[in-house]
Parts: sequence; C-alpha cells; structure tokens
Amino acid sequence: MLYSWRLGAGGSVLEFQSFDAAYIERLWAGDSGTQAHFIGYFTQLLRIKLRSRLQSTHAIEDVCQETFARVFAVLRKDGGLRQPERLGAFVNSVCNHVLLEHYRLAARSDSLDEEGRPELPARGADALEIVGARQIRERVQQILRDLPLRDRSLLKAVFLDERDRDEVCREFGVDRDYLRVLLHRAKQEFKAEYIRRIGDRAPLGANA
Amino acid sequence: MAAERYLLDELAPETRDEFEEHVFDCPECALDLRAAVAFVDEAKVQLPALTESAPTPAPPSISKPRAKRNWWLAWTRPAFVVPAFALLLLVLGFQNLVTLPELRTQAAQPRLLAWVPLRGEMRGASAAPITADREHGVALSLDISQQPGLAPYPSYAFDLLDPQGKLAWTGIAPAPPASDAGGQRIMLFVPGASLQNGAYTVAVFGVGPGGERISIDKYFFNLVLKSE
Repeated sequence: MLYSWRLGAGGSVLEFQSFDAAYIERLWAGDSGTQAHFIGYFTQLLRIKLRSRLQSTHAIEDVCQETFARVFAVLRKDGGLRQPERLGAFVNSVCNHVLLEHYRLAARSDSLDEEGRPELPARGADALEIVGARQIRERVQQILRDLPLRDRSLLKAVFLDERDRDEVCREFGVDRDYLRVLLHRAKQEFKAEYIRRIGDRAPLGANA
Repeated sequence: MAAERYLLDELAPETRDEFEEHVFDCPECALDLRAAVAFVDEAKVQLPALTESAPTPAPPSISKPRAKRNWWLAWTRPAFVVPAFALLLLVLGFQNLVTLPELRTQAAQPRLLAWVPLRGEMRGASAAPITADREHGVALSLDISQQPGLAPYPSYAFDLLDPQGKLAWTGIAPAPPASDAGGQRIMLFVPGASLQNGAYTVAVFGVGPGGERISIDKYFFNLVLKSE
C-alpha cells in the first residue's frame, strides 16, 4: 500500500530534490522510487507541522496519510500540477484543509485526537528515525556537553519540561534572544553532521 | 533564525503559516528546520542525564548553629564603623565633585568618530579586519539597504555576537532615512571597554508590523585591539 509507507531505518530520503514537471510525471505514473522519495520527504515536514497542532501520534499519522491520499488523487485526476515547482506549497495547502476537517470532526464527535483517548507513548525522535545513527547521538551529546550546565538546564526546561518560556528565561536570568541564539548555535554545529548522515542515506537518485 | 523562532513558538499564527508554506517549498529551509528538530528531539533524550548534576535549591538548613558565630559582628563595633564611614564619605565626595563633573563635560562635547563601513554577507562580503583601541571603541556603518524591489522594514533589530558566539548585545532601531541613491545605513558604536580580539558577527533583522523578526543579513569583522 502506497499510503502506509513508513519511514524506517531504510527510509529513502533525498535532500535538495527539485520538484519539476518530470518529478510530477514520475509521481503520477506511479514510479515507486519517486513515490518513496515524495512520501519520505513530506512525511517529515508534515509531522513537524502537525505535532504542534495535534496531540496524538495517531491523529498526526491520520492527517498525514489523508493528505497524501488527496494529493495523489489530485495528481491522478488532473494529470499533474499547473506549477510543478510549487508541489511543496500544494502539499502544505492540502494538509491545511485536511487539518481543518479534522478539527471540525473532532469538535462534533469522538475523534482520534480526543483527550479522553489513552495517549500513546510519544515517538519523540521522528526525524531521528531517518538519521538515528550513533554518530548523530554522539554529536548531539558532544554539543550538549560543550554547553555550560546552565544552558543545558535551560534547554531542558524549555524543550523537555515544556515550561513557559518567559518564566524559564526569568528564572535563568536570560532573555528570549539568548535562548534563540543558544538554539541557533547548537543547531548550526549539529547541521553539518546531520547533512552528512542524510547524504549517506540518500539512495534515491535525484532524477532516477 | 526563523526555524528557531518556529520551534520556540515565537511566531504569530499568520507568520507561522507563511513560514510553513515557505518551508514546504524550499528544500534548504526544510533541511534547516529538520536539523533543528532532529537536534531538539535527540537533546530531549539526552538532557535528563546531562543535567543531573544541575544545582538544585538548597534545602532549609537543619544543622546545629555553630558555637562561635558572632565573630563577624565585630565589624559593627564603633571602632571599625566610624573610620569606614568617614572613608566612604570621602570617596563619595570625590566622585561627586571631581569624577562626575568631568564625565558630564565629556558627554556633552561633540565627538569625532572614524566609522568603518561594513558590507553584509548577502552582498558577498567576507570578514573585514578592523583595528580599534579600548579608548575609542569602534563605530561600524552597516549598509542595510534592501534589495531592489523589496520594501524596507519600519524598524530593524541587531544582534552583536562576540568571538565566542555569545550574544553580547541586542537592540532595535527605527529604519534610517534613505540616501539620495536609495541606500540605508545605520551606525553601530561599540564602546572599547567591552571589546575583545576575535571574530564578531552583527546579525540584522527586519522587524515586521507584528514584531516578527526576519533575518536580512549578517556582517562579519575580525577585531584586533591595539596594545595600550
């Protein structure tokens, strides 16, 4: 089943893929490699987008799959996109519609995202499903260890404990700019390793 | 730093939607965001172990009071307090009568500053070498002209990162008037006392009507302090 593809350890990901008419054509024609790339690439972005809007992983996966289903339906029906280079914006737009419908449905009836439903354990490392290599963990650990203990505690309070940002900043005697720059610098240090690992795991040819 | 603002929930809903639309369309920004998410996700796994030694508030002391704990109260005896108070008055008098008037006079005088023009990363500039001294500091003239066809922002935010990459200063200024040629420049003066040798970065952001900051350009310079 095309829409049940999951990003496992062997997931295929390709960075800097340009979306053009040829890509859309392969997608529309059912080229498995292109479809795998498409699903892999946008699943990550959709999850990042949705996890701040939906509570449960079930609901996130539902919205992702429904988004893909509708995108493929449109591609099959219309035979492509008028602006192939805007494929990403199109996927985002379809996701927004699916999300709205999900909210409406949730308001009317018991939905998959209802609070009463037992919450599944957070999967946490969505992006790391792709790059869950030891080197990545070690690099993050190295970056964190290089930070002063106070900065590590600051990151923990914000991201793990999910405490109010302003309250945390007041407690640590820093401002929001400090927090932002701290995250930015850590990300920049990490990004090189991330790109290297992504590159290692990009079996799909750009124009295969 | 849009990805960081996004992850820190600092974007207004409309700006967040615009950012997401852009990320879905721009593989480079998508990669930037995914790297940030991957870092945060992995950090969340590791941070509990790495913050175990974080200092916790000390519990209320239940130890027995020391037998001899009043030795420091000896400083409150008149024999020590009176001379100390007299010395304090002397210092305060000197500051008010000599030091502060001099500083006020200096502050009221016009000053000549030799500014250093800096071009941003977007305009292909690399780190500029700048020599300065602690007495005069350094005055930087930043070319913040927008690209042709882009409207200028009503105000701009500036982050000064020191050679360790730490945020040394941040500030916001209204958009400066454009020159006849349409260029916009703003001067950033950094006092000498806070300067140190090394590579500095000035990150400039356009501040939108909703207060959102959009990264515009970065200016790099290598500062060499003249020996005194």
